[in-house]
Amino acid sequence: MSALRLTLRAAPAQRVDCAPLTPAALGGKSAAEIGALLLAAGGPPVRVDDLFTIEGTPGDTLVLAGATARLDGIGTALNGGTIEVDGDAGDYLGRGMATGTIRVSGSVGTFAGSGMTGGELRVRGHAGDFLGAPLPGEHRGIRGGLVLVEGNAGERAGDRMRRGTLLIKGNTGALLASRMVAGTIAVGGTVGPGAGTGMRRGTLLLPALPAGLPATFNDCGTFPLSFLTLLARAWRGLPAPFGDLPERGLRVRRLMGDLAAEGKGEILIRA
Amino acid sequence: MLLKLTGGRVYDPAHGVDGQVRDVYVRDGRIVAAPAPGTTIDREIDLRGRVVMAGAIDMHTHIGGGKLNIARAMLPEDHRGEAVQRSALLRASCGHAAPGTFATGYRYAEMGYTAAFEPALLPMNARQAHLEMGDVPMVDKGGYAMLGSDDFLLRLMAAGTEQAVINDYVAWTLHAARCIGIKVVNPAGISAFKFNARRMDLEDRHPYYGVSPRDVLRTLARAVHELGVPFPLHVHSNLLGVPGNFPTTLGTVEASEGHPIHLTHIQFHSYGTEGDRKFSSAAAQIAAKINATPNASCDVGQILFGQTVTASGDNMSQHRNAAVASPKKSVTMDIECDAGCGVLPFRYKDKNFVNALQWAIGLELFLLVTDPWKIFLTTDHPNGAPFTTYPHLIRLLMDRTFRNECLGTINPDARTLSTLGSLEREYTLYEIAILTRAGPARLLGITDMGHLAPGARADITVYRDDANREAMFTTPEYVFKDGEEIVRDGRIVKVVQGRYHTVEPEYDPAIDRRLAEYFEKYLTIRSRHMWISRDELSGLGHDAEVVVHPTRRAR
Repeated sequence: MSALRLTLRAAPAQRVDCAPLTPAALGGKSAAEIGALLLAAGGPPVRVDDLFTIEGTPGDTLVLAGATARLDGIGTALNGGTIEVDGDAGDYLGRGMATGTIRVSGSVGTFAGSGMTGGELRVRGHAGDFLGAPLPGEHRGIRGGLVLVEGNAGERAGDRMRRGTLLIKGNTGALLASRMVAGTIAVGGTVGPGAGTGMRRGTLLLPALPAGLPATFNDCGTFPLSFLTLLARAWRGLPAPFGDLPERGLRVRRLMGDLAAEGKGEILIRA
Repeated sequence: MLLKLTGGRVYDPAHGVDGQVRDVYVRDGRIVAAPAPGTTIDREIDLRGRVVMAGAIDMHTHIGGGKLNIARAMLPEDHRGEAVQRSALLRASCGHAAPGTFATGYRYAEMGYTAAFEPALLPMNARQAHLEMGDVPMVDKGGYAMLGSDDFLLRLMAAGTEQAVINDYVAWTLHAARCIGIKVVNPAGISAFKFNARRMDLEDRHPYYGVSPRDVLRTLARAVHELGVPFPLHVHSNLLGVPGNFPTTLGTVEASEGHPIHLTHIQFHSYGTEGDRKFSSAAAQIAAKINATPNASCDVGQILFGQTVTASGDNMSQHRNAAVASPKKSVTMDIECDAGCGVLPFRYKDKNFVNALQWAIGLELFLLVTDPWKIFLTTDHPNGAPFTTYPHLIRLLMDRTFRNECLGTINPDARTLSTLGSLEREYTLYEIAILTRAGPARLLGITDMGHLAPGARADITVYRDDANREAMFTTPEYVFKDGEEIVRDGRIVKVVQGRYHTVEPEYDPAIDRRLAEYFEKYLTIRSRHMWISRDELSGLGHDAEVVVHPTRRAR
């Protein structure tokens, strides 16, 4: 398997837009051609070879080594292939990605996975605010694919989510799943106030009842849901606490809302 | 400095020059006659085989005013796209359907346009609109002041005030708002909408003032004519976009009662109700009327397929169409009881029956209006399509084979209903030069633009002749503005600041006092604060030159 490895020479002083760096866009290019590409940045554009050392041959996998939070837009509109980020990533990671995989060993900035329609986004560290959320003016957040954050997520994670799966192992900030239309969100830790505000449909699976839930959620009691068996099977192979969801015997307390919106959303609390 | 453009094929319809090989001389920003033999030529450019025209003039394009900022705010995704990167020469800008001011100027110049006129400048918003247009580099600018639904005029008319007073008010408005013409949008309808009327036809009476659109049209067309403003009343008729609106459009021509009248984006006003879907082309009737009426002219407002945003003063139409907005959002608002505003994004689809027929109707109008001096090339930017689609539109007009290929791909029901396939006319370069240069300049009453005779401003566009007219008109080889080379091979090489074009017809200052009292009583600012002086206008455009074109008062 061939891989192209771009290693950051030094932390950039300005933010850099790395959107042009995807396996598909670099495929078939020589190291010299890749080096001559210009990336938009704060101040004048920078050449790729001024910023990175270039090793290996372009192929299915792109490795960004020594990455910092100043590298924005990594994997924008990714359609196939794998990007491995060794270090942190900036804002707009995997924005609008359709297929392929992005793995980040560190933490990521705001709007990671914004408007993605498919593929897989895995973050070992934390995610900033607006995880998967649409940019201002857009109508839809995540529309498909899987996002897995092993650390915490900031505010407004899953805003206007339409389809797909958003898994956060750690804690989340305020207004998780705000204006959610559909899809599945699960959290392993605590959840900030205002979860599910404006939620129309969709499922939120939480370990405990969050504080500050909107008053427009209706408690429907605790009972088993056969749908959870299917969910548990679908999540096999994912890390705990998602991959080890029991196939049988799981009871949940179900709250329906947000009644101020369509009200068909559900917050499921593991009993 | 004397510049010689040697050996190009010159298209200068204002002087009947149709592709003859001529040398063009430029000195001090003006075109000059051939100098005496032996005069030193400072720079000579060999243009053999090239097509030479005056700089193009867009006489109806929404490039300034509050509605564009609403569109930009409403469509951040449009504004994020198509970024213009900052360079040593250019400022950063962005946007597709409602581009930023800098991108607007750059893109016009890159297509060989050297002037653009904003057709819906609300007098109350004139300062903001001029500021915004002042920020558009490269091209000359001007605005048409919007009247016809303003409370003051409707009050005067309801009270049966004599025409002379109305003329004074119209003239005062042209001064105060520093405009070059008068526009009327959905006559009386914008106001009627606020009194819960949802439809205004020519004979309908305004629910409060009792004035009909016909009255407004007659009164304003007469005022513009009597004030000697060269540019005829610019009319956006009632019932825009309504199937079966063409009798209203025909009636609008009549309503001017012989005074000059210009019907704008006439494509949206040429709809019949024949066929199973009750939507059909009335281009033939409309074109026949334009052909037969010496005092009428029109621009088309062609639609082209793709995403755009519609921005109009016609709140009634925009409110009616809000349900078909794509993406689904819209704004309908009142502005200072003076007029209204409606903005909604729209995607024209070639497989959609209505959109496809609209496309065909526009082209039918282009081909059926026989006198090219009476029709102008517009897409009503951005309402029918962004102005950057003009080269594509020119190819559709000049190349019948290409037109029929495109016709073959649209909605089949629309194709069957349209007569477009049977129209054999192909526009010539000479006619295109009339539509985009000589015609607009003559209509606007600007005598030193749109042609290439000695004395004209040296706004010149040079194209490489190319059978693919779209490629040819997209990337001119040279564009000169006031004799300076501003574009080379479709790329900007020098940034210039265009000038403002205005008129200042005479009027009886007695109207000042009347307006001052009215403003004091009813409006949020004083009339003297609305007034923009000539010097202030210059400042709004980064010390732009302000040209005042002469008016001839009709006796």
